[in-house]
Amino acid sequence: MKRVKIILDKRLLAVLLGSIVVLASCTKSYDKINVDKNSIATIGPAELPFLFSKALDVAPGAYYNYQVAQNLFADQYCQYFACEATYFPSDRLTIRMDWVGAAFNPMYTDVMPQLQTIFANTDSSSAEHAMAEVWWVYTFHRVTDYWGPIPYFSAGTPGNSVPYDPQDKIYDDFFKRLTEAVAVLKTHAGANAFGTFDLIYGGDVNRWVKFANSLRLRLALRISKVDPARAQSEAEAAVASGVMTTSAAITDPAAMTAGDDAFVSRSAKNTDGNGLQSMSDWNEFRMSASMASVLNGYQDPRLPEYFLPTYSTGTAYKGLRNGLSVPELGLTPNLANNNSHVGKRWASTNIVDKDGNVIGSANSIATGQNVMCTAEVYFLRAEGALLGWNMGGTAKDLYEAGITNSLIQWNVTDPATIAAYISSTKTPIAPGDQQNSPAMTNIPVKFGADPATQLEQIMTQKWLALYPDGMEAWADYRRSHVLKLYPVVHSDNPDITDPTTQWIRRIPFLLSEQQNNEAAVTAAVGLLGGPDKVTTPLWWDKN
Amino acid sequence: MRSFRKLSLLLVFTCISLLAVSQSVSVSGKVTDSKGEGVPGINVIVRGSSKGTATGNDGTFTINAPANSTLVFSGVGFAQQEVSLNGRTRIDVQLAASQNELNEVVVTALGINRQAKSLVYATQTIKPAELTGVRDANNVLGSLQGKVANAVITQGSGGVGSGARIILRGNRSIQGNNNALIVVDGVPIDNSTYSTAGSDFGPVQGSDGASNINPDDIESVTVLRGASAAALYGSQAGNGVIVITTKKGSKDRISVSLNSGAVFESAFSLPKVQNSYGQGNSGAFVDSLTGDSWGPKMTGQPWVNYLGQPTTYSPQPDNIKNFFRTAPSFNNSISVSGGNDKSQTYLSYTNNSNSGIVPGNSLLRHTATLRLTNQISKKFSTDAKVTYIIQDIYNRPRTGEENAPTIDIYNIPRNVSTAEAEQYQFISNVGVPSPTPYPSTLTSIYQNPYWLIHNTAINESRNRVMGFLSAKYQIVPWLSFTGRANLDRTFNKLTTQYAQGTLLWAHSGGYYQQQTITTTQKWFDGIFEGNNQITRDFKVNYHAGIIFQDVQSDQLTNTADGLNVTNKFSLNYATNPNMYQYGDQVQTQAAFGQASFSFKDAVFVDASLRNDWDSRLPKPYSFQYYSLGASAVLSDLMALPNGLSFLKASINYAEVGNGGQFGLLNSTYSYSQGAGNGFLSRSTTLPFPTLKPEIVKNLEAGIEARFMDNRLGFTLTYYKSNSSNQLLSINLPTATGYSTQYINAGNIQNQGVELVLNATPVRTKDINWDITLNFALNRNKVVKLSEDIKTVYLSGGYGRSATPVVKEGGSYGDMLSFKWIKDSKGNYELNADGTPYTTYLSGDPQEYIGNFNPKETMGLTNTIRYKAFSLRALIDGRIGGVIVSGTELNLAFSGIPEITEKYREGGWSLGGVDVNGVPVTKAITSQQFWQVASGKRYGVAEFFTYDATNFRVRELSLGYDIPLHSKVFVKGARISAIARNVFWIYRGKSILDIPGLGKRKMDFDPDMSLGNGNFQGIEYGTLPATRTYGLNLQLTF
Repeated sequence: MKRVKIILDKRLLAVLLGSIVVLASCTKSYDKINVDKNSIATIGPAELPFLFSKALDVAPGAYYNYQVAQNLFADQYCQYFACEATYFPSDRLTIRMDWVGAAFNPMYTDVMPQLQTIFANTDSSSAEHAMAEVWWVYTFHRVTDYWGPIPYFSAGTPGNSVPYDPQDKIYDDFFKRLTEAVAVLKTHAGANAFGTFDLIYGGDVNRWVKFANSLRLRLALRISKVDPARAQSEAEAAVASGVMTTSAAITDPAAMTAGDDAFVSRSAKNTDGNGLQSMSDWNEFRMSASMASVLNGYQDPRLPEYFLPTYSTGTAYKGLRNGLSVPELGLTPNLANNNSHVGKRWASTNIVDKDGNVIGSANSIATGQNVMCTAEVYFLRAEGALLGWNMGGTAKDLYEAGITNSLIQWNVTDPATIAAYISSTKTPIAPGDQQNSPAMTNIPVKFGADPATQLEQIMTQKWLALYPDGMEAWADYRRSHVLKLYPVVHSDNPDITDPTTQWIRRIPFLLSEQQNNEAAVTAAVGLLGGPDKVTTPLWWDKN
Repeated sequence: MRSFRKLSLLLVFTCISLLAVSQSVSVSGKVTDSKGEGVPGINVIVRGSSKGTATGNDGTFTINAPANSTLVFSGVGFAQQEVSLNGRTRIDVQLAASQNELNEVVVTALGINRQAKSLVYATQTIKPAELTGVRDANNVLGSLQGKVANAVITQGSGGVGSGARIILRGNRSIQGNNNALIVVDGVPIDNSTYSTAGSDFGPVQGSDGASNINPDDIESVTVLRGASAAALYGSQAGNGVIVITTKKGSKDRISVSLNSGAVFESAFSLPKVQNSYGQGNSGAFVDSLTGDSWGPKMTGQPWVNYLGQPTTYSPQPDNIKNFFRTAPSFNNSISVSGGNDKSQTYLSYTNNSNSGIVPGNSLLRHTATLRLTNQISKKFSTDAKVTYIIQDIYNRPRTGEENAPTIDIYNIPRNVSTAEAEQYQFISNVGVPSPTPYPSTLTSIYQNPYWLIHNTAINESRNRVMGFLSAKYQIVPWLSFTGRANLDRTFNKLTTQYAQGTLLWAHSGGYYQQQTITTTQKWFDGIFEGNNQITRDFKVNYHAGIIFQDVQSDQLTNTADGLNVTNKFSLNYATNPNMYQYGDQVQTQAAFGQASFSFKDAVFVDASLRNDWDSRLPKPYSFQYYSLGASAVLSDLMALPNGLSFLKASINYAEVGNGGQFGLLNSTYSYSQGAGNGFLSRSTTLPFPTLKPEIVKNLEAGIEARFMDNRLGFTLTYYKSNSSNQLLSINLPTATGYSTQYINAGNIQNQGVELVLNATPVRTKDINWDITLNFALNRNKVVKLSEDIKTVYLSGGYGRSATPVVKEGGSYGDMLSFKWIKDSKGNYELNADGTPYTTYLSGDPQEYIGNFNPKETMGLTNTIRYKAFSLRALIDGRIGGVIVSGTELNLAFSGIPEITEKYREGGWSLGGVDVNGVPVTKAITSQQFWQVASGKRYGVAEFFTYDATNFRVRELSLGYDIPLHSKVFVKGARISAIARNVFWIYRGKSILDIPGLGKRKMDFDPDMSLGNGNFQGIEYGTLPATRTYGLNLQLTF
């Protein structure tokens, strides 16, 4: 028996030891096995341009996020569109916090790491570095203008918490970054950086200078009530350095612009399409009564570009009021078929008229995503001129140049049509909606005599020109509060009991942030200067 | 294909040549017990056939059997005995009783055969006849329903061939897989499902690996529920193991078996709908394109329908039922088994042609198996098998909300006729089918289901080869070595096509996607097995070995969203071809040792130790775990009271590790196509370089007892398992640049009791009545998650109804939803207009409404045999748990369910209070109420939550053994009538007691789920439950 045991022990031991040795030597390739062979592990100079493209792609709203990031919130709160879907409560001012995170999270996970990797791997005097800086400002001004304080200076550092920073400090950094970036870019005047990877200007550094200065001008006007002196100096410096001046008509929605207008190119690959187009099939939104009142009243030549005639009439342009109740949405005048859909540019081949003729195009998914238009820059300058700033022109001239550039951008190039529109005395009309709303306001297009009318005209035309960029239009509405939008018909939000005197001024801090970054959010409420509610104005909102 | 044809030919020739052989004689005899008394009710079966009889009251029997065949005598309480005829016609047998029965051999982990009584853990064996009798045409796992103690089986709702979910002893993994490991002939098979529901949006449920197992090839099924039983399988065995052993060729005769079954499946448990009110809103007509049925009462008013045709406004009570069809399924198999002492062959071919209740949905599967076993020399033997499966599934229906024919047909307005709905398309002037207008609540989401079944297709084509080569060498009489090589390779080709005009998916010209998924699993092992008798009473049996496993998966997805030539479903026509490739690979190596000591053949001690090297882990990739257990057959050790014939007690403890997840250690960038030159994106998951393996710790104790000559017996098992170091994905503040991080944390505990009871109340010559009962309770507790995380979601984003979660302090599968707010006094709160005030409106987070798991499960099988007839009925059920009817949530908005019929004219006062506690007396209409509760797409699930308790007659079969003359070459013939899902005994009610309505009865099948992943507890546009009737014919030659 002992013999058996010994044999047993020896043999087993040998086998076990032997196999362990064999196995241990077999684990050599384990690190290679554990990686998807289709991925890239390390980033070098060849990869950086792809990161820049990704950042450009996501910041204006990646197509799969567009609805929950922008359309259900900013686009409704600036009243470009009203909601047709009974199950989206945001038009009645209740915000689903798990959705609106789409305007926050991707900026930190799909834009910031890309830009920070570029910062870390390029020389700070390079055009590439400077372009990434400009894009950084574009990305985060949209985030802070939704929430106020946001994680900013410590963003991108690992850990379980990232602190929030006050909005004034963030704006200060924006101006600094833009000023420095323009200085760097000017040393590369005429150069091309990132080439075809630059989805806005194809690498044209000169136009990036104009874009950076225009952005600086936008941000300057944003703080014009809270810090007028800084606003004026930043605005005058921006204009002096050179802002966007020329629009070019885009006939092919997918083409890159030849003018200064900034659009991010989209492709038809169904991976990065135009956000507004991607949701246009879903019939969940239509033209708002506000847009209907103004565009119909002005007989605005942009109307057929912005919207489609209603399905049921084929000729009339109709809108519905924001904030309708579920039963009201079921009433005939409010049905999707009886209101105007977003324009042809964003229409897929599933959009048909009553006779079954296809209105949209297969390529519309590749429609460029609006980033910033030249018209806006003229209106910003017009407003500055009204304030007495040196904007390189009179308020009237700049106002009219803004309209002209907007019309050209929207493919209305006939000088006679443009001239007629600019001198038009037509005013907004009652939209003829289910609520029998009156006209939204009474101002004509023709530039008025008194400053109050002039300001409302500038802000109203800017609102029209910014379409469909609801993010900027809503920020501008909150900052100036000149535009005379309709109050929402119903508010389900207990904090907004009177929609005629109250409106949504910000998005509350995200539930996910309260769960994952709790201490930082608690501290951020202190920076806000009020409770964490939709009614608390942001730092620059002094209305 | 060519080799397949050859195989078929071979099969046919073999059959023909075999039919010529064998000659039968009439054999009679008597079966006695140890006291010499005749035993009634003993089964006498000709080995290798289904032909058999049973002994009469005096223990005598007569049977026709081939002269050279072997008779198998078996019965409850007796050891099975085999007797070769060798030409004799008179056979008397004395059967050994009681404990010897436990000399029965059970197939355990790694295919190791163990004596049942020596096991230190509970196992349960399912006889193949129980699987093939009333088979679930979808999946062999479905046939285990109600038969395995403490198993919760749910069928993914994707039509024929869908994957199923089988959970043993509760859920333990949050982000990983909870399905039991499926082992065939000792080696785990690939049981992955390529697509399953993670939300109620509109998932496609793919087929799993288990559905490829051919029930006709199964020799035995053993269920190893606990980790101890499974510890040798390592990583994958924490969820328990279903050990399937397939047939080998028989040694001494050649037999041919034919099985032919035809079953007819039809929808039952369709939603109960109202048939009084038609299209419209607020009790009035709007227009004929209105999707909601909130219109006036239907009294046959003249009406112009949405197609512009004059008709009447009349109820169409069958417009849902008419959509589904009675679907036939055919199962035909042939097997040939034969050989001599040296070499044996088993060859089988099975053809399954199944159709689903959604028109167009069908499955065609061919399974061919060849197994060769050889005793090459006295010391050397080999075993080799190859199985080839070709499976094609056509028109798999989507479920959930989007592009799902089920929810679309349920949404049909109550006055729209089947004839109208069938006019789903017109052909445009360029010859392209275009959808006709169709009334729907949301014109962008819901469409004509007849368009969907005719103009869209989700097809799956699978080729799978599974095979092994195994060789055993007997080194010395007490030591042998077995080496095994196993390959399981699945090639899936999945195509999706949507004709132009299909909502949501099809862009210009239509949509086509082709996906190929290739999964290859290689397994090699080498195992020493030894047996030593150390003293007269002391024996040891041990195994030591190594295992190498490599699983590799490659996916290639080509999408053509937009086709240059309309509805040409080929990648060649892609307007913008888009390609995506992904691959992963996991390699594990293991060394293990296991020893079982026995004393006096009555006391057993068992121990095992295993070390794994896993490619998913950081260096040195290694971790170990062990099991330890003991059992004692008390009835062999001490005198027991009369009537107690066998008593065994056992206890064991085991740990099982799990290596984690592929590719978590490093940060990577991945490319996607897009504008310019495309993009590189950094993974949004923080790398986890310190990944640790998960550990499941399992304690189990059991008692097994038999009484009254084994006519009554039970096993009672208690267990407790704790799953710790779980790989949890937690959300990070995204400002870190990452959205998720993996951590090892948590402690999920399952404990419970299982009872399996067997009884034979009646045993006479003509009548035999057997009862098998299993009952189990499982209590799950999420003891701990982590410092940073208290709740993990079992689904991803934008939940439409409820959200299943794992929450610290709760149980796995707690359901959260918005609720109807009650004040502190228990009054329902109402809005000023009299409608319910819910947390959806108040902006509060979702709250607990129940848990999706049953508290108790049971199955009861009664088998009554009378002469040549046998009747078997299986009743199964679950107690506790909730299920949310997303279907009802969706339909209630549109005034379709029967429940919306009441209070149409208003006058419904809910008797609640406002937020200040002031009574609200305003009366509302049914429409107001249900539209607030439902919201159509995003609603308050609490209103639609039901107690999932249910009992039903799951299986019913009546068999008849056709008497045969001994001259006939057919040796056995059995015909049976079968039925599945026969009727409900009980179904739970809705959890809310709504003032003026009360609680309502469930009208759906709570065992149908959207998918077979961890997203459970929500029924949303799932296919209706089906009832199956059919006939089965079994012939043996």
